[in-house]
Amino acid sequence: MNEIAIHINNLHKKYDETVYAVQGINLSIRKGEFYGLLGPNGAGKSTTINAITSLVKPTEGDIKVFDRDIVSDFRYARSKIGISPQEISNDWFFPVEQLLYFQAGFYGIKRKDAKERIDFILNKVGLYNHKDKKMRQLSGGMKRRLQIARALAHDPDILILDEPTAGVDVALRHDLWNFLQQLHKEGKTILLTTHYIDEAELLCEKVGILNNGKLIAEDTVSNLKSSVDKSKLEDVFLELTGRTLND
Amino acid sequence: MIRNWVGFYTLSSREILRFFTVWKQTIIPGIVTTLLYIFVFGVALEDRITEIDGISYKMYILPGLLMMNVITNAVANTASSMLQMKLLQTLPELLITPLSSLELSVSFIIGGTVRGFVNGILILLICIMAGMEIRDPISTIFIIFIVSWSFSSLGLFIGQMSDSWDQLALIQNFVLTPLSFLGGIFYSVNMLPEWGLAISKVNPVFYTINSLRYATLGVSDAPFFNSMVFIILFSLLLTTLAVKTMESGKKIRF
Repeated sequence: MNEIAIHINNLHKKYDETVYAVQGINLSIRKGEFYGLLGPNGAGKSTTINAITSLVKPTEGDIKVFDRDIVSDFRYARSKIGISPQEISNDWFFPVEQLLYFQAGFYGIKRKDAKERIDFILNKVGLYNHKDKKMRQLSGGMKRRLQIARALAHDPDILILDEPTAGVDVALRHDLWNFLQQLHKEGKTILLTTHYIDEAELLCEKVGILNNGKLIAEDTVSNLKSSVDKSKLEDVFLELTGRTLND
Repeated sequence: MIRNWVGFYTLSSREILRFFTVWKQTIIPGIVTTLLYIFVFGVALEDRITEIDGISYKMYILPGLLMMNVITNAVANTASSMLQMKLLQTLPELLITPLSSLELSVSFIIGGTVRGFVNGILILLICIMAGMEIRDPISTIFIIFIVSWSFSSLGLFIGQMSDSWDQLALIQNFVLTPLSFLGGIFYSVNMLPEWGLAISKVNPVFYTINSLRYATLGVSDAPFFNSMVFIILFSLLLTTLAVKTMESGKKIRF
């Protein structure tokens, strides 16, 4: 359990000359850990995640996945990561099952080798009976589940979930929580960003709080609560980010 | 070098399947438009413009119409695929896969090339049915292929640099269409005044049309060898441009 899955060293990102989206983040996520990255809007969560997946080019700093650099060894690093982005993508052209075959193929998995895995994932996320539908025929919740299914198509060691339960109803949110807990038990390293603090409190072993592009706190949920003498993670979050519920 | 062969094959297949799934938009219009051009310009005007370089007017315009169709389809495929993926948020999911910039670029280019080539071959069949005798079939096929590849590469570059459908339409309407029409589809550039001739000779579409016109009908406004050298160099230049732009991550990685 001591192997480091994701190591971020001194990450800086400037989108223009004056504004830092992220400034000097150092972060290590152990293999098999369920890690929550919290922060208010604009804190730098998506920039950090996008830097890990190389969609964002760091202004300074470097990132390693299982001790391999994400730029010089991009094939290895990317093959280890599956991501469910915040924005739901819409591929109009192909049915659900075909999209998953494509996804596995991009990661070098041949169609015949992907079949068993794709059937398994479709069942897991409850989309097997909808596998012949195109995305526009799916409900919002189904699209969200498909996002997660795509992230899992190549059986990655690390799963990154950017606001996976945004806009999802309560019942589905609980289903997704159970599914994520199961994936965690199976040994997946999970990095979750969420605006639902109770979600992070329930699922995550360790939490990092970002504010104004800086990592202002990082610890287990219980240690964070005791450090500021609060009983709920939400109160810790508000205390540390200096915000009130009206902000 | 291409190393992720399965990923490369998958994306190339996806790009090809994508346009075949919407064949009513990607294949039929080119055929209908070409038939209309043949009817309006070839049949209706043939009585007034009888021959150019000893070739009947209807036959003379066919290579240009074919080339215009190839160019339009090849550019449209890569440009619209790339822009659509950007606007529908599916591009980030592709960019985080273990496909290199070269593998991504060439896969997209193959998709556009196949669309341009398929459309070109269908128009070629129409030309044959209209009575055209192909003088040099191998060169004809090669020219259709390499022009599809070149303009598919150009489309990928345009798609990556565009932020909206408006920008894409601007380039197609104000750059590609004029270049095609001024490349000598409907006339011999020797009919133009000196300045028009000079402009035509820096227009890449002029060389694509004239190489094909020579390969099919045996007449051309430019030496065949020069035209072939030009379109091969043009193809290399545009492929490099598309791959380097993808490598730079401009407008797709931030």
